[in-house]
Amino acid sequence: MLKINNLKKNFGSKKVLKGINLEVKKGEIVGIIGPSGCGKSTLLRCINLLETPDSGKLMFEGNNLLDGDSNKDIRRRIGMVFQQFNLFDHKTVLENIILSPVLLKIMSREKAIKKAHELLGEIGLEDIANNYPHEISGGQKQRVAIVRTLIMKPDIILFDEPTSALDPEMIGEVTNLMRKIAKEGMTMIIVSHEMNFIKSFCTRVVFMDDGIIKEDASSKEIFLNPKNEDLKSFLSKINAY
Amino acid sequence: MKKILTIIFCVFLLTSCSQSKDELVMSTEAGFAPYEYYSNGEIVGVDVDIARKVAERLNKKLVIKDIAFDSIISEVKTGKSDFGAAGISYTEERAEEVDFTINYSESKQIVIVNKNSTIYNLEDINNKKIAVQLGSVADGYLTENYPSVILVREKKFLAAIQDLKDNKVDAVVMDDLPARELITDNMRILDSELVTDSYGMIVKKGNTELLNVMNEVINELKDSGEIDSYILYHMGINDNDTSKNTIFNRIYKSVIYDGRYKYILEGLKNTLLIAVCAVIIGIFLGTIAAVSRNVYENTNHLKLLNLISKAYVTVIRGTPSTLQLMIIYYVIFKQTNINIVLVGALAFGINSGAYVAEIIRAGISSINKGQWEAGYSLGLNYYQVMKNIIFPQAIKNILPALGNEFITLVKETSIGAYIGIVELTKASDIIASRTYDYFFPLILIAIIYLIITLFLSKLINTMEKRLNNVKNK
Ligand SMILES: Nc1ncnc2c1ncn2[C@@H]1O[C@H](COP(=O)(O)OP(=O)(O)O)[C@@H](O)[C@H]1O
Ligand SMILES: [Mg+2]
Repeated sequence: MLKINNLKKNFGSKKVLKGINLEVKKGEIVGIIGPSGCGKSTLLRCINLLETPDSGKLMFEGNNLLDGDSNKDIRRRIGMVFQQFNLFDHKTVLENIILSPVLLKIMSREKAIKKAHELLGEIGLEDIANNYPHEISGGQKQRVAIVRTLIMKPDIILFDEPTSALDPEMIGEVTNLMRKIAKEGMTMIIVSHEMNFIKSFCTRVVFMDDGIIKEDASSKEIFLNPKNEDLKSFLSKINAY
Repeated sequence: MKKILTIIFCVFLLTSCSQSKDELVMSTEAGFAPYEYYSNGEIVGVDVDIARKVAERLNKKLVIKDIAFDSIISEVKTGKSDFGAAGISYTEERAEEVDFTINYSESKQIVIVNKNSTIYNLEDINNKKIAVQLGSVADGYLTENYPSVILVREKKFLAAIQDLKDNKVDAVVMDDLPARELITDNMRILDSELVTDSYGMIVKKGNTELLNVMNEVINELKDSGEIDSYILYHMGINDNDTSKNTIFNRIYKSVIYDGRYKYILEGLKNTLLIAVCAVIIGIFLGTIAAVSRNVYENTNHLKLLNLISKAYVTVIRGTPSTLQLMIIYYVIFKQTNINIVLVGALAFGINSGAYVAEIIRAGISSINKGQWEAGYSLGLNYYQVMKNIIFPQAIKNILPALGNEFITLVKETSIGAYIGIVELTKASDIIASRTYDYFFPLILIAIIYLIITLFLSKLINTMEKRLNNVKNK
């Protein structure tokens, strides 16, 4: 589904991604771990074209995403969930969810509203449909942001530290929703510092350090039998090994 | 918005196009009694009386423009006015720029000092501090012949007199007749005059047709003694009666006597009219500039418009607004006889546009980058994100800032006086030029400015609260 080849990205003279190779198959749940500043967010943002890579190949379902305008449409098939939620502050929960499908004429307004209520209902959020973002809790905001992505029917969803900005008691409601989506077969890439969640949830884990991928193995292998020395010291620093 | 703009422009153009071949345009700086001064809302005086005779002879309607003295020559040179009459003394320097009529009056340049001054004759003024009107004969003469004198060049001779009153200078040198109009009991005039010069009116070089008619009329008026009687008449209605200098009398003279409140009303009307039109033009230009820059920065479209906008904002913000106003009036609208208030509205509008562009830019960049990214990641393009997500949020920051820009504009219009617009500040000037008393007119318009700006601030506050309520609903 997603194939990344020797992807490089600099910010000015600072080399952030130094040649990333990564393949993600349909239905995989890939966790990305690594010290902060190593380029995890930048990698996700490149996949979603929020940053333009300097070189390399970014294939999605057989299309090269770095191939000019032809990929404009593909973008909506790659969902993104942000650490800071990024709900549209001037719109209600419902309006947040239906804005894009209606604007892009994916569905009629009526159908979008119906679908949004349905999705909110499934996770018990129907009561806040008409609330503004500043009126709801962080956990609710992040779940609304996920629903806003889901309604676009993406093929893959990228999560950039989806629980880092949350109070501890709200983390569960977000991770539970993610598990629910995974069960329905969604492909996901997750950047997170919640090692227990990554360990138990991801089918595969990638260790990034210094702009490259230093280890790529099953979740079990990474945490129980790490090979790379940097990974070992990273895990021991966070008491996960 | 665009419709309103068009309508305003049309009205302006209609009123400004009335300038025609049937008019004879004279420029002057009223405030130089007995030659030209305001009385009951009109400019009158010796020069005006003569000018009327000329207009009569030509069968044209006389139109009088009141502008700064040092702009009169360029007005005439550029053809914006047919002639200038402002007690202009003949000098060779001026005669190189414009053609002079024969002289119609002579004026002595005299020295005014305070009663208790130690200056008694012309030798005494050496090394002294002397106030003159910028660009006047006194200015030129003293510069050339009295190098030891320290000159204080005031924009208006009234300010020069005020300097003397306040003991900021030792003496004032100016024309004899107006001087007699405005000296107080505490001043005296030296017995011998500094130099005698002759007044002529000026026309554009080579305009012999008009020059001949004017010379003819002046000759006749001189022969019949009419010019002398004009002078006597206008000296006679001098109202500078210092005997009743009570506060009430001063207020009465500044506001009520001779219909002087009319200048304030006219000034207020023009100030508000210019500010309103300018802010509309400013919003229009500013939006184009800000949007084209933002579009270019995000999509690489509109490259040319972006460059123009950048240059526009840089130039306008990097130069004084007075200069912009004068360039627009004297350079761009050099040949056309366009309504001066329209020029003001346009100049201030162009000026304001650059600031509005920055306001809009700031409003847009105040919105968290995450809002853009969320929009993009949902598959929306730049325009969709801008229109549906960014702008509706940015407008809450932009509107109050635009209100503040309007307040700034109301105050800025005061520089419109440079090109002769009768706005509030100029109105107070006109009144002071009759009463020789700056205090009350200035205080009065200060209060008016304050009331307007306080009212607008209040309005903006309410608006801000409303906008926040909408957000927090
Ligand atoms: N827009 C940017 N401009 C300049 N430097 C950036 C930008 N975004 C990220 N960086 C730098 O790139 C590096 C990697 O950042 P990031 O991908 O956010 O790391 P991580 O998510 O792994 O903590 C950091 O050193 C960061 O300072
Ligand atoms: Mg990050």
